[in-house]
Amino acid sequence: MRIHRLEVAFSIAIALCISQAASAQTKQQSKSPVAAAVANSPHDLSGIWFDDRPRPVTVEERYWIFKFNAEEPPMTAWGEAQYKAAKSSFGTSAVPLAETNDPLYHECSPPGFPRIFLHPFPMQIVQTPGEVIMLFEYDSIRHQIFTDGRKHDETLGPLWMGDSIGHWEGDTLVADTVNFNDKTWLDRIGHPHSDQLHVIERLRRVDHDHLVDDITIEDPKAYTKPWTTRIEFGLRPKWSLVEQFCEDEESFKSLDKDAAAPTK
Amino acid sequence: MRDRTLGIAVAIAIILSCSAASAQVKPPADATMPPASDQAHDLSGVWFDDHPRLIRVQERYWAYTFTLDAPPMTSWGQAKFDAAKPSFGPHAIPLAESNDPLYHACTPIGFPLVFLYPLPMQIVQSPGEVIMLFEWDSLRHQIFTDGRKHDETLGPLWMGDSIGHWEGDTLVTDTVNFNDKTWLDRMGHPHSESLHVVERIRRVDHDHLVDDITIEDPKAYTKPWVAHLPFVLKPKWTLAEQFCEDVESFQTMDKAAATPAK
Repeated sequence: MRIHRLEVAFSIAIALCISQAASAQTKQQSKSPVAAAVANSPHDLSGIWFDDRPRPVTVEERYWIFKFNAEEPPMTAWGEAQYKAAKSSFGTSAVPLAETNDPLYHECSPPGFPRIFLHPFPMQIVQTPGEVIMLFEYDSIRHQIFTDGRKHDETLGPLWMGDSIGHWEGDTLVADTVNFNDKTWLDRIGHPHSDQLHVIERLRRVDHDHLVDDITIEDPKAYTKPWTTRIEFGLRPKWSLVEQFCEDEESFKSLDKDAAAPTK
Repeated sequence: MRDRTLGIAVAIAIILSCSAASAQVKPPADATMPPASDQAHDLSGVWFDDHPRLIRVQERYWAYTFTLDAPPMTSWGQAKFDAAKPSFGPHAIPLAESNDPLYHACTPIGFPLVFLYPLPMQIVQSPGEVIMLFEWDSLRHQIFTDGRKHDETLGPLWMGDSIGHWEGDTLVTDTVNFNDKTWLDRMGHPHSESLHVVERIRRVDHDHLVDDITIEDPKAYTKPWVAHLPFVLKPKWTLAEQFCEDVESFQTMDKAAATPAK
């Protein structure tokens, strides 16, 4: 039962992206001078990206729809206590949706960063001089990384998405994000983070159609040491982002409902 | 009283925006920068409302509606407008009594209402797209310029489905497929699902952008009408994070401006 429901939810998510995005798409326009310049750049990450990890495995193995790694992250006592208090509607200890204390289901609270990566919708990268911007289909979220040499602005925050700066090391964009609030879970099953969260991403387009984001999570309050995870994306040249707002508490819940039911 | 509170709200908005700007340094040249040949169609940058500020607050209609003159409403439109209890504008009532849909669990603002929020907007462009990113609630208005048609399978949507094409130096956008869950403005002028918005966006000089917006909605209005939105470039600003965290966060932000005149 559980497998089926998860399958359905995942399929729905994928079908939504494919049918709506693909049907709207017409033939790519001929390459403009802008496109040509960007395509030649080793620093071009632009395009629509979608989670590219293997699908034909059992649902139990698809940890990446609710947490970052198969293994447990190394929690501190504080982290462990927070995790135990979390009542997630996802994962192996899922509770019914009505009983969850997932902060996402409180009046459309933003999912925050990096949890946004666990929501299975497309992400688009756009670039301007001095900025690399991830636009997430889910809840119209954006992750704006400044590459113009500025430092973190300590007057900002605490923020849901954090304050992100980045620089290029060869073909890799190294992004550094701090100034988080502690109102979100790190993932969808309740692993915590504090406002000391520090996220380092190493984003690299390994070939034209593939992007990897190697993420280091550091949070001395919640975790005993930094740990890493890898997110793999595939280019979806014919997709475009569609609108997915949290309209009210019910809309987030209905989107997630099928996947949230506990095992019977 | 009213003058002062509205003034403060505007000042807060400006300060909020500037706080992000203080960290800005000069962007370096980058391989992804558009080449000079595309500059006729370059709308990119951080833009901010450029209506005059040095006039009396009562005359600043653009804080809550699109035009000084009332739009030509149908009887359906008039009935909706009469039923609206806005916390803004000449008919403002206390926030607690408002039926503004925005104050229901962080409902998205929708388009074109988002233009009436006094926070910055950034335009980014990629081949085939012009995207407006609004500081307020992380909204985006994504205009496809790759020649596609409207996708009738989409919607009804909060921001609508937008396509555009260039006419000389003017980006002409066409947005349809709206839902009817938002007000058109902050004082309760309505729109229906028949809303059709045409924008003519032009960078009149390096530092100035205008968006001439035609509102067409035969259910709500007897004829199309036009609003003129001026923007000024803010090269040292960057967008900050402004989420609607919960109903209270919306209300706190608007509270000062929403208090009716005493």
